[in-house]
Amino acid sequence: MATAASEKLVTRRTVELAVATLAWVATLALANFGPGAWWTGEGWLNWLAVSLNLVAGAAWIIVQVRYLRAAGELQRKVQLEALGLGLGVGFVAAFALVVAHRADLIGFEVDVALFAVMIAVVYIVAVVVGNLRYTR
Amino acid sequence: MKNRLRELRDERGWSQGTLAEHADVSRQTINALETGRYDPSLPLAFRLARVFELPIEQIFDDA
Repeated sequence: MATAASEKLVTRRTVELAVATLAWVATLALANFGPGAWWTGEGWLNWLAVSLNLVAGAAWIIVQVRYLRAAGELQRKVQLEALGLGLGVGFVAAFALVVAHRADLIGFEVDVALFAVMIAVVYIVAVVVGNLRYTR
Repeated sequence: MKNRLRELRDERGWSQGTLAEHADVSRQTINALETGRYDPSLPLAFRLARVFELPIEQIFDDA
């Protein structure tokens, strides 16, 4: 956005989004690797870690929406296309792999992390390509 | 959709950044509009019309 106030707001929202994303990833790592790696047999710690991850996830979603509301209309379009592409590829690939796995067409185990990585990579590439498409 | 943004901006001796500031959008948006890669929303078209003090149809042409 162009005016100093709106530019400042977008910058603030972008920083918030980066922090919220890192916080969600960190709490996810804590909930996933914590039991066994950092503590053992403490059920309440597992619950705490999972709860923290859910709270961080909810905050991440809110921050993402706030970022989209603050972004300029062109950037919103780029983000919308990237999110749509990421989600679409994630869903299609996820169901195709699950079906292929059940039909014994693939040998490896299908892990949910694979889809998260796939969505993230497609989203990032789509944002970069979208920005290049509208600005080159 | 064709538009006269570049021409109108040049007449006023404005940079893309200056027009972006007047219309409260990013310079990237002005660039995308001028090169025809992006069509503005109705509110943005109205804002640009107000900036140039012209009717929308004298700036944008969907023919």
